[in-house]
Amino acid sequence: MGKVMILNASPRAVKSNSKCYAQIFSKYCKIDAEYFNVSKTNHNELCEKIEQFSDILFVFPLYADSIPVTLLNFLKTLETKPQTKKPVISVIINCGFIEPQQNDIAIKIISIFCKQNGYTLGSVLKIGSGEAILQTPFKFLVELKIKKFSSSIVKRKYRVFQTTMPLSKKMFIKASTKYWTDYGKRNGVTKEQMMTMEIED
Amino acid sequence: MKLILSDKYLDITLNNDDIKIIDLSSLKIHNCTGCFGCWTKTPGKCVIRDDATKVYPYIAKSDRVIYVSRIKYGGYDTVMKTMLERAIPIQTAFIRLHKGETHHIQRDVALKKAIIIAYGNISDEEKDVFKSLIKRNSYNMNFESYKIIFANESEIEEVVKKEVNKWEK
Ligand SMILES: Cc1cc2nc3c(=O)[nH]c(=O)nc-3n(C[C@H](O)[C@H](O)[C@H](O)COP(=O)(O)O)c2cc1C
Repeated sequence: MGKVMILNASPRAVKSNSKCYAQIFSKYCKIDAEYFNVSKTNHNELCEKIEQFSDILFVFPLYADSIPVTLLNFLKTLETKPQTKKPVISVIINCGFIEPQQNDIAIKIISIFCKQNGYTLGSVLKIGSGEAILQTPFKFLVELKIKKFSSSIVKRKYRVFQTTMPLSKKMFIKASTKYWTDYGKRNGVTKEQMMTMEIED
Repeated sequence: MKLILSDKYLDITLNNDDIKIIDLSSLKIHNCTGCFGCWTKTPGKCVIRDDATKVYPYIAKSDRVIYVSRIKYGGYDTVMKTMLERAIPIQTAFIRLHKGETHHIQRDVALKKAIIIAYGNISDEEKDVFKSLIKRNSYNMNFESYKIIFANESEIEEVVKKEVNKWEK
């Protein structure tokens, strides 16, 4: 019987979308799954636990077209601690933009890590519009995909999945403009202020 | 304005006030915490008031940039990547259609001719991934054009000088 180590590598792990995606995963995953946040200081502790698991699931956001430094640094530590029993590495990545394919390069980076260090890349789920989708009626699409994704890991029939809001790009831009305008409003900042062209002083 | 942004010290002296050299390894730059304060609380300014706030205004202003970075797993290594993540205050939260995809609206950011000098022990597969990464970056970082140079660590200064000479012509 396998066991999944869920590693949330969002730089804002405690309050992240990745955490919500991980929770949905745990809900549907038919084998044991244990959840951890990757922090700056717990790399060694996490690496020591890895051999107890059959699978690792990295959950993280796309940052500047790539993997966030939080994850990069963890992978660099893991590289220095070769494991005798290597779990299969699966990934749930989410990005702000609507196109799930914008995540492709980050996945390639993980795949290069796997190749260089003798890990197998398992299933991948690429989520577009991941900043907001869980707060929309399209949340069920994410639930459906995570359910299939988790079953692919349990059955060891690893696959690539993707999902996003089923909106035209024009509609998505409209919806995201409202999302961010409301975000600013909660901080007492107007849309015009948010649009400022000024950078520092 | 022209900018040379490097993840290591470069032994280069320039007699040109229009070119700024920044050695990221000498600065104190924390990781982005993804708080979106730079978009929704203090637009255009990062809430972490460390050295990064002195760097991203130069990234914004420069119409020619040279980025020098070690490569890891086909992407930028930690020092450069940390700075690029901290540079999102130069964009707004709002999204537009750009080259057929959704991307953020930039603030006052000059259109750039970029040169990326990538060094380290880089496999062919990593080179390919890095090339596709820079292509994506070009959409998000306002590159009008770019060139990637893969170099040995020992030749970087030489390569940078050669490219700067071309700027000065
Ligand atoms: C520094 C930074 C860089 C980002 N870069 C990208 C990007 O290149 N493409 C994209 O689609 N979204 C990008 N995003 C948006 C995040 O991927 C998105 O908000 C995601 O939902 C955050 O997930 P989390 O809450 O799990 O951290 C970026 C966000 C931050 C803070």
